[in-house]
Amino acid sequence: MTERTGGGSAKPLPFRGEVGVGLVPPRGAGPGGQPPTPPLKGMGFRSAIIPAAVLITALSITASARAPERWWAPGEGRTFPASLDYANGQGTLRTLLVGGPMPTRGHPFFEPIGSNGRACVTCHQPADAMSLSAATVRERWEATRGNDPLFAAIDGSNCPVLPQHDKASHSLLIERGLFRIQRPWPVTSFNGDPVTPDFTIEVVRDPNGCNSGPHYGPAAGNVSVYRRPRPVANMKYLLAVGFPFDPKQGYALPLDPDDGKPQSGNLMADNRAGNLRIQMEDAAASHLQLMGRLTPAQIARIKDFETRVYTAQQVSNGAGPLDALGASGGPAKLRDSEPGALGSIGVPVWSEFAAWEKIAPAEAAKLSPAELAFRQSVARGARVFRDKTFLITDTAGINSRMGFGNPVRNSCVFCHNMSQMGNDVAPGQVDLGTTTQPFADPWSDLPLFRITCLKAPHPHYGRVILTYDPGFALTSGKCADVGKITLQSMRGLSARAPYFSNGLAKDLRGIVDYYERRYNIGYTEQEKQDLVNMMSAL
Amino acid sequence: MRKALTLLALAAPLSAQAAETGDLVRFIACPVYRDADSGKKSGCWLASDPATGGRYDVSQSPYKPDWNFAVLVEGRLAAASPASCGAAVLEPVRTSRLAAPCVRHMLPAEGFPGRKYVLPRRNINPLSVARPLPPGPYAERVFTTWFEFDRDFLVYQYDDYQIDNAVTWIRGAKPAKLVVTGFAATTPETVSAQQIAERPEVAQERAESIAQTLRRLLPGMTVETKWEVGAKPSSDPDADGIPGQAQRRAEIRAVF
Repeated sequence: MTERTGGGSAKPLPFRGEVGVGLVPPRGAGPGGQPPTPPLKGMGFRSAIIPAAVLITALSITASARAPERWWAPGEGRTFPASLDYANGQGTLRTLLVGGPMPTRGHPFFEPIGSNGRACVTCHQPADAMSLSAATVRERWEATRGNDPLFAAIDGSNCPVLPQHDKASHSLLIERGLFRIQRPWPVTSFNGDPVTPDFTIEVVRDPNGCNSGPHYGPAAGNVSVYRRPRPVANMKYLLAVGFPFDPKQGYALPLDPDDGKPQSGNLMADNRAGNLRIQMEDAAASHLQLMGRLTPAQIARIKDFETRVYTAQQVSNGAGPLDALGASGGPAKLRDSEPGALGSIGVPVWSEFAAWEKIAPAEAAKLSPAELAFRQSVARGARVFRDKTFLITDTAGINSRMGFGNPVRNSCVFCHNMSQMGNDVAPGQVDLGTTTQPFADPWSDLPLFRITCLKAPHPHYGRVILTYDPGFALTSGKCADVGKITLQSMRGLSARAPYFSNGLAKDLRGIVDYYERRYNIGYTEQEKQDLVNMMSAL
Repeated sequence: MRKALTLLALAAPLSAQAAETGDLVRFIACPVYRDADSGKKSGCWLASDPATGGRYDVSQSPYKPDWNFAVLVEGRLAAASPASCGAAVLEPVRTSRLAAPCVRHMLPAEGFPGRKYVLPRRNINPLSVARPLPPGPYAERVFTTWFEFDRDFLVYQYDDYQIDNAVTWIRGAKPAKLVVTGFAATTPETVSAQQIAERPEVAQERAESIAQTLRRLLPGMTVETKWEVGAKPSSDPDADGIPGQAQRRAEIRAVF
């Protein structure tokens, strides 16, 4: 138990004003879909790690402070510590802040600077790897009876026109962690260049009333889609540029309008914001309902914070500390490594766990059989991720328009190729089929759009496409980009289920199962479990 | 000498039945994928010339087929053993995806190993690798990029390499402007009993595509565009001696 809780085990909960390392216990069910961490024999988990004095303090403070400790409420003024641990169903997530503790009082990432009471931190919670798990959303609904600003009508409900007191009106957020994202239609510009879309869009099905109504759909110059929030951490990797070209689009990388440098294209699901300033302005106007504009000082402070935060799983329930016995899991390696390196010609992706491929007998003897087996499984999972090849077919961004061919044999690291992080060194817009038929699962609670290509047909779907979310096409205006979604971050996965942009995988096994049925990979049951265990350690 | 040899190669007649090493073959066919597995990107692409029935290994093309669509195959018969994929090897070779649909077909490896992937020679370095500027003196110079049939898409590990080299030279040479000319092979030709020709507008699309890339890589540089149809083959050796490839191009002229 001591080993599992790692460096945070002796510290109390990070109540407001606390500085340093904190450990917060897991919720009842793990985000990876696994049972919660078992308590110590004869003692509840919370009692086992929380000093009595802290419990007494907790019982005596105000009602608002008795809200779940994991939750960072807008404007609460806690100090963000240099190292912060949160337990989850798979172990412990650690978040590091380079430069030491930071007061959040008055900080624009943490203050409700918009009109709806939310702050950036509302949807980018430290306990959830700076994203937001559906489990946390459900806790907030229960804790506040739906009155948390998180459930703001603008995007925290299935559609603002629905009765907001009704839990069913927030079902997409509560069940799958999906926010409504309103994109302009038709697309008029991309990276400052004028765009005339080469496709039309029609609403086939609208279960939530937004896309067929007069205010939020194409009739009002909008398209409403539903997506998971992306983690705001490990940002230097998401901003890193490895090569000067975007081979998926067939151009040199676009230039940042602020500093003139090439843009990575890996920030947002549909690549609509190429730098953090544009992303912040987009988020402030839409999610925070900020009436004015962010000031340059606010933008600078948010950027400063976001580029100093690193998060990753630090301790595994199954394996113990992820930086033990030669392994280098956890966020410190992320913080200390150079971003943007291609794993195939440098440090192999997930080689952080290579030392666990062969654990010396003397070291193995110090581990329980279960811990040894789990570590070996994590190491095998990394190998499977890199080396198990399969035929990738009909996937725009891979099989078209670039010349890899359709099909092409490769492995997970074909796209998840950046050392330490597993995102794409090139801009990562790829159509896995997660949002588009026939590959997408049949989600009846999502809108369905009919896309008709006006010029060349889509290279794989043809002229008419049925999709829940056109993805990158809503930014580029190109039919060939329908269904492309920027690759997801892979760190801190255990803290932020469900997965994929539309939350289709409720747990880590769901990710593997989606790939298996999409590409008929032929993973063995052992390989599937090894992949799940490896991803739980990221 | 190299230029003369290239011109000689480009002047070689098209042959319906390639029998000799170095002969050019050109045909349209539905591609077949052989699932040979020697690791990443190791599968084989095969295509049969409908005029002869001869099957060729076309795997070495910088832009590879899509098993759902016909391909225009252009290549030269190589002396290499057919042992990798089970067919006569075309090298160099190009396989342009056409619009005509095909029934997708995959063969098992059948004992053929395919080819273990190696980085192509036209492969750019990461940005972290310094690019020394070439020494002067500098004078007007033309760099060429190459395209798939009727496409304007920048070819990975081919065009990016050419442009990366061009941009490095241009950064050192500091010309007054760049003139990008797109070419399209619009003169109809009969291949495998089908008449094919590139769209005239692809010439402009190629020029604009390359110009857009140059404006991003060389901010502030004046980049003008032109386009020509009825393209004649370039003698540039980076077309690898394939006449069709030598027509489908865009030229970047550095003007002082």
